[in-house]
Amino acid sequence: MNKLISRISVGIAGLISILIFTWPLFIKAGEQNETLLAQTVFIVLMPLVLILVLIEFATGDISSKHLALLGVLIALNAVIRLLGAGTAGIETAFFLIILGAFVFGSGFGFILGACSILVSALLTGGIGPWLPFQMMGAALVGLGAGLIPRSNRLWLQKVFLIGYAVFASFIYGGLMTMWNWPYLAGTGTQLSYVAGDPITENLSRFIQYELFTGGLVWDLGRAITTSVLILLTGTALIATLKRAATRAGVGREL
Amino acid sequence: MSALTSNTSHLFSTTRTHPGAWWLAGLALALSASLSSNLMVLMAISVGAMLTVWLCRDDAPWSRSIRFYFFLGGIVVLLRVIFRVVFNLADASQDVFLNLPSFSIDLGLGNSLHLLGAVSVLSIQAALVDGFRLAAIILSIGMANSLANPRKLLRATPGALYEIATAVSIAINLAPQLITSLKLVRRARGLRGHSKGIKSLTGIVIPVLEDTIEQSMQLAASMSARGFGRKGNRTSLQLRLTRASTFLTLTLLTVGVAMLLFSSAQQFVDLVIIFAGLILAGVTFKLSSTRTTRTKYIVQRWHIADLVLVLLASLVLLAAFSGVFSK
Amino acid sequence: MIEIKNLSFSYLNAEGKQKSEEPQLNRVNLTIAPGEFVLVCGPTGSGKSTFLKTLNGLAPNFTGGVITGELLIDGVNLLGAEPYEFSHLVGYVNQQPEGAFVADLVLDEIVYSAEQLAIGKEQITKDVQRLSKLLGLEELLNSPLSTLSGGQQQRVAIAAALISGAKVLLLDEPTSALDLQGATEVLNLLQKLAREEGVSVLLAEHRISRVVGSVDSVIVVHGDGSVTKGNPADQFNDARFAPPIIELGQQLGWKPLAMTAKQAQALWKKAPAAFVEKHFNEPGPRVLEVTDLEVTFGSLSAVKKTSLSLFGNQITALMGENGSGKTSLCWAIQGSGTRTSGTVETATGDPKNMSVQDRLEVTTMVPQRAADLLFLNSLADELHESDTFAKVPAGTTANLFQKLAGRIDTSIHPRDLSAGQQLSLVLSLQLVKNAPVLILDEPTRGLDYAAKRALAKQLDQVRNAERTVLIATHDIEFVAMVADRVLVLKDGSIAKDASPLDVLGSGQELASQIADVTNEAGLITIGQVLH
Repeated sequence: MNKLISRISVGIAGLISILIFTWPLFIKAGEQNETLLAQTVFIVLMPLVLILVLIEFATGDISSKHLALLGVLIALNAVIRLLGAGTAGIETAFFLIILGAFVFGSGFGFILGACSILVSALLTGGIGPWLPFQMMGAALVGLGAGLIPRSNRLWLQKVFLIGYAVFASFIYGGLMTMWNWPYLAGTGTQLSYVAGDPITENLSRFIQYELFTGGLVWDLGRAITTSVLILLTGTALIATLKRAATRAGVGREL
Repeated sequence: MSALTSNTSHLFSTTRTHPGAWWLAGLALALSASLSSNLMVLMAISVGAMLTVWLCRDDAPWSRSIRFYFFLGGIVVLLRVIFRVVFNLADASQDVFLNLPSFSIDLGLGNSLHLLGAVSVLSIQAALVDGFRLAAIILSIGMANSLANPRKLLRATPGALYEIATAVSIAINLAPQLITSLKLVRRARGLRGHSKGIKSLTGIVIPVLEDTIEQSMQLAASMSARGFGRKGNRTSLQLRLTRASTFLTLTLLTVGVAMLLFSSAQQFVDLVIIFAGLILAGVTFKLSSTRTTRTKYIVQRWHIADLVLVLLASLVLLAAFSGVFSK
Repeated sequence: MIEIKNLSFSYLNAEGKQKSEEPQLNRVNLTIAPGEFVLVCGPTGSGKSTFLKTLNGLAPNFTGGVITGELLIDGVNLLGAEPYEFSHLVGYVNQQPEGAFVADLVLDEIVYSAEQLAIGKEQITKDVQRLSKLLGLEELLNSPLSTLSGGQQQRVAIAAALISGAKVLLLDEPTSALDLQGATEVLNLLQKLAREEGVSVLLAEHRISRVVGSVDSVIVVHGDGSVTKGNPADQFNDARFAPPIIELGQQLGWKPLAMTAKQAQALWKKAPAAFVEKHFNEPGPRVLEVTDLEVTFGSLSAVKKTSLSLFGNQITALMGENGSGKTSLCWAIQGSGTRTSGTVETATGDPKNMSVQDRLEVTTMVPQRAADLLFLNSLADELHESDTFAKVPAGTTANLFQKLAGRIDTSIHPRDLSAGQQLSLVLSLQLVKNAPVLILDEPTRGLDYAAKRALAKQLDQVRNAERTVLIATHDIEFVAMVADRVLVLKDGSIAKDASPLDVLGSGQELASQIADVTNEAGLITIGQVLH
């Protein structure tokens, strides 16, 4: 029962965070003030929802072993991200989030995604209003990776993982561009959202915005880096993580 | 401000000042900026934030991050202006100061785009104000991020997030060790000889990961042996209450957001629902904070200087609210 | 304080079945009194660490496995409970304290356990004052842990383990990373804790000679499942893992055995035994020549203008304290390390100017953390990869490894091998490349005396006229066993280049235990003594 409510809560949290990301597509026509208000409300709500889900996952019996393994993967992610930073389109954080979540489960993946972004922001600077949104985006990537189906056939497993990596890279990129869209394009240009317009028209403007700002190129870069890294290190990393899980006696209960 | 900090060089600093004070001050400045539409005020806030960092910072690694915020702010201003120039809606009725040749592009998405064309003073001014507002917000947050010590901040995390904060601080402590380990393993790789392709990458990542996991399990064992994980007087009722309250909070917030976006009903109603959600979130937070019993032996105190800092920033915010900045 | 009845413990394999027929610990019965100071010892891999961990729930909760029997601590049966259920009764100190620190300031680290147990603030303040006075940490409370010396860190770890009010203290090899002075300090403190505070102290240690003089009793974990407790003098009668002093007594039939150098000196004086001359190999042709080599890191000069030659058929030991430049010199000779100036001559040129692959045909090295070279998922894969890489017939590395380490199931994960087996594996991987220069950096870390003897035998096997072996170490007994020649580094320069007899002989600064006890010229190892 507890578990069921917990799952439903996480589902709702996913739904609300998608709404908060994509609001420019849906928002009804109204006064300028109202749009600004919505924007301000969302800046507050996103971290709140994020914290609620984090607490939800941590409230269960998270053991010191889980925390230590999380610490290792978060640190590795932050360090790898530090090394890869600055090279356009190279996003090295995702493959570890996906592989970690795949081995240790959705809840672990959610925390891993959110905290990886947080720690690299703490270490290199990068805290700002965008941070909760990036954290939520990466957390959702981790959450989803926990649901990747398992297969005993190695090639099929790789197909699943890489398929998800490509999907997640584009969705994450799309969500983040969607978030900065109203900020960077503002209103009143041909590429800006128009409150009250049909979804299709706003979506078309959004896609043009993605094309012109080069967002899709970044997403493609992210998809390629993540897939290649999974292809190269996936099997070995999964084996290492699984061994660590067995030795520590922790499973996928999170 | 500069006089205050220069003759009492230790009044505000990254080591003495409560990290919460820097964050409150940063948020107050950011909020003031978001309420203002006066270019001069926005620039003053930006410069003020930069100046504060320059005067109070030490050589901690996070102190250097202000540069990143500065460039980000610059890029935002630039992008805003470029967007206005390139994708401006044709409105050449007034103040046109630049007439660029116009292009049309059809991406096959239903409408064709008109690029460049006439640029008006008003549109550029609007872009500059919007851009500088974002830049001022970014720099205010950047100030807090550059001056607040993240370790101290983590120590001030409320009980509900204790486990998450623990994972994060483990990660922060492990990161430098990882870099050392990476260097050692890379050097050692040369002794084994470089294998081709795949193995050269796994040959570095796997030993580093194995070492670090081993270390982290020692750490976990040490935490456990020293009492981490004690349930205290947490009851299953309390756990159930927390779960139910989380569920209720999220449902309320979702309904509120949906109404805010879709429904044409009175704005008043959706805000009330969201507000109720916020209050319930506070209750959830409180509930899950009380589920563990720990002593907080070392509590970072707020000093007078911290309060002065917050007060100064609040004065700016007060001025913003009174509307002084929007003229 | 602790009462163990019929305690058994077995590890499980991946399928959840018992790993071997013999349990790691089999029907152990013993008691430990309040204020008793106990040494726990046994051969490497016998399970002394596991035994310690069963006493606070880390085994099986962090190691996996099954535990049965009764474990009464202060009268309460805590068998199988989670470690945190023990935390107010039993304190635990890890082998490497810096790996187990949860905070970054001394005070935060010390109070951690008290915070978790929700002890009142006033009580914590009192306990911090008492413990920091006792352990000499008063001046350090606000320092970052990373700035402390190894001995200071160990003392912080002890304070942190006792703040919960624990009356039992478990320590897993607390002095293995400390120099003699730091180790003595920690041992004196532990003795004080046992005598004055009534804390039962259990100390697992493989450097027995350091500790055995100060303890009340000795627990031996034999490795066949049995665990015995008794007086120090009775416990080592037939132990194979004992240090040279005790081994000398065993061989000469001393009863009771001598535990300290003083006792042994007296016994030897009464009835000295005959001994043979130590055999050293004649140097072969010159394999490598170092001329005016210098290594500087920024303003720090790690190795000052140094020249030396290495000869075939010889094992050369490079000794010196921590920070004397041993590791820097090894890496500079190997070719990939920093070298500020100077040359290294071999038959095929200077290794520094070679590509990574070519260099491996001239110099090979086993680094301090040997396991860093292992990255595949099974022993079989590692051996196969090595054959392919060295372009030798399949099975060559496996044969070599078997010769060094004995027959081992090749489906095992390399990280599950013991420290000694990992070392043998890396040694085989390096030897198969057949380079004329083999360098080992601190190879005996974590090995007991039996494992060191095995390694010495392996190295003796691999030397030949074309191959020279250089070992950087500060392990005196190991050098006495294996070296033909000793170089002593001091502050980056070679202070001594002589026969082991001169460097390790009696009266010398680096005298071996046997030399120290017997005071006979030309006698440095137990192997020379006739019985």
